[in-house]
Amino acid sequence: MSLEISSDVALGRIQRAPENFIGRNDVAFVNRASELDRRSFFKRTFLAAAAGTLAMSTAARANAPVGDGDPAILSLPEHTTGLGLPVASNPYGQPSKFESNLQRRESPGLTRVGQASVSFCPLQGLFGIITPSGLHFERHHQGWWDIDPRQHRLMINGLVSKPMVFTLDDLMRMESVSRIHFIECGANSGMEWGNVAVPTVQYTHGMLSCSEFTGVPLIKVLEYCGVDLKKGRFVLAEGGDGSSMTRTIPMEMIESGEVLLAYGQNGEMLRPENGYPLRLVVPGVQGVSWVKYLRRIEVGDQPYASKDETIHYVDMMPDGLHRQYTSIQECKSVVTSPSGGQVLMNKGFYNITGLAWSGRGNIKAVDVSVDGGKNWKSARLEGPVQYKAFTRFNLPWVWDGKPAIIQSRALDSTSYVQPSYRTLRVVRGDKSIYHNNAIQSWSVKADGTVHNVHVG
Amino acid sequence: MRNFVKIHVPASRLFKVFIFASVAALGVQVHAFDGLGRPATSAEIKAWDIDVRPDFKGLPAGKGSTVLGSKVWDAQCASCHGTFGESNEVFTPIVGGTTDADIKTGRVAALAENSMPQRTTLMKVSQLSTLWDYINRAMPWHAPKSLKTDEVYAVVAHILNLGGVVSDDFVLSNENIAEVQARLPNRNGVTLKHGMWLPSGKPDLQEKRCMSNCKPLPVTSVLPDYAMDAHGNIADQNRLVGPVRGMVTVKK
Repeated sequence: MSLEISSDVALGRIQRAPENFIGRNDVAFVNRASELDRRSFFKRTFLAAAAGTLAMSTAARANAPVGDGDPAILSLPEHTTGLGLPVASNPYGQPSKFESNLQRRESPGLTRVGQASVSFCPLQGLFGIITPSGLHFERHHQGWWDIDPRQHRLMINGLVSKPMVFTLDDLMRMESVSRIHFIECGANSGMEWGNVAVPTVQYTHGMLSCSEFTGVPLIKVLEYCGVDLKKGRFVLAEGGDGSSMTRTIPMEMIESGEVLLAYGQNGEMLRPENGYPLRLVVPGVQGVSWVKYLRRIEVGDQPYASKDETIHYVDMMPDGLHRQYTSIQECKSVVTSPSGGQVLMNKGFYNITGLAWSGRGNIKAVDVSVDGGKNWKSARLEGPVQYKAFTRFNLPWVWDGKPAIIQSRALDSTSYVQPSYRTLRVVRGDKSIYHNNAIQSWSVKADGTVHNVHVG
Repeated sequence: MRNFVKIHVPASRLFKVFIFASVAALGVQVHAFDGLGRPATSAEIKAWDIDVRPDFKGLPAGKGSTVLGSKVWDAQCASCHGTFGESNEVFTPIVGGTTDADIKTGRVAALAENSMPQRTTLMKVSQLSTLWDYINRAMPWHAPKSLKTDEVYAVVAHILNLGGVVSDDFVLSNENIAEVQARLPNRNGVTLKHGMWLPSGKPDLQEKRCMSNCKPLPVTSVLPDYAMDAHGNIADQNRLVGPVRGMVTVKK
């Protein structure tokens, strides 16, 4: 199969398409979107624009004025000559309909049941470090619920002198903290352990998001309940969904004050898919430990051997031994654009951009290579660089139209360097599924298409 | 110009004075959370504290036979997991890949040999409490927590019987579960000796940070063209504007 370049790029790839040129697919897309629109406001606008541009000659598709100039400038569009929509037309604002390509999506064939599945975050089109809440990746073990917060309860029991029950009223009255942290599924990039398996960064790295979380440090609530910190070195976190998902959290993490009982996410309450009304936030640790719909915390003197720490989410080593309770997400980075499945429109300037994160601290540096790892340059880190949070990096690049391999390699505050596939597989083999933090490589071909490849 | 009188007071004492003053001013008690929450009743704790640990703390008394287990299995479990727990249709298989030799050694040989296409539950499970706990809290799929205690014992016994760990007429109970634990095929096939569990853990590898004239590594894997459409049309998964577009991987 030969790959066709996106319709609005194909005819004029070398000469960049003018902004108002709309390809066949895009017209179809606008039509589809417009069918849902009572006003068909944008449809008329775009058909008019499309009719104008489709009539143009091939030569006219360069980024240059046509005749007297660009029709998008010369023919005043309806949004300039008409009346727009009133306030609160959308009481809860939504992204533009022209942004609907960026959605969380499933990887076909990965799972058979939507209630025990994952949807991937569209990293290829996101900016900065905050994941829009509606695009936050999902992982459910037995389906998601929208729970009435008035009926939700948190119980604390086990090695505490006062087992207690808290309502959301209680928890939200406590002094809160707000912190930005990444969350990554332990199986992120898991499909790629052995070989290249998926085409884009959404599927290679999309079990990954970063939000500002608001809540109460768990240690403060445990102390209030009279926790026995001498004996009670482990905590069981239990969800209120059908699976009543459980994970053990070492008290060492909780004592640091980092682990939160969180109800807030990006300025509003948690989304139902992300655990509304209460979830555990365990910075630096894989998502499965961030128990959603959190209903109970039990303090104990030994790990609990829950299913998702001793049967699943275990890392198989080359000798067949399973590492249990693997939790910490080690330093990792990925270039999100240009990335797999994308097409560079012509030679010239591009901003290589991506994300870096570490479950052990702050990002200290990100190196980027465009020659498959022979030479590296340090990227500019977008500040402020935060603890156990995404760090956005950027590196200017002028593409000369020749094949290139783009990679990024992060270094964290513990001086740990993100490994190549070769280095990683020497220790972990290639059957692990979990905790693949290898350097990602994107191969740019001379035709501008970008492909997922393994280097190592 | 005003006269300033300098008084030397230790910072910690000043802080205490400040706290005392604010607390007194606000009229609140010492602990910030006082008045929040309430004691859990014993009935509430009993209703929710259902976890079973590896040392079987939390395991309710009861028993269940493989015979009862097979009945429950056929009615509640087989549609997803297959008659013999072997199905890969909905979830990964539960039974398969273990041998009598594994039961003796406590290490599933097929894991190191990589001789099975899928790692089954019985190949991986190292603590019997995990099976009991999970079936009790999360199964069956459409009606979690609906099994009676004896039915949970029975289903666990049935799974172990399908895997050849216990005999056809076995009755699993809180009395003998520790003995069965000692027969689990992969009870010794696990480790906590790694750096990814406790915050104090150390990484198991260290990459070199070479910056220039580094030894190039080869391209070892690429996605074949025929697999490019497996995730739909990538053009429809990228923005309509910006520095790049998505490839058309599915022709309309």
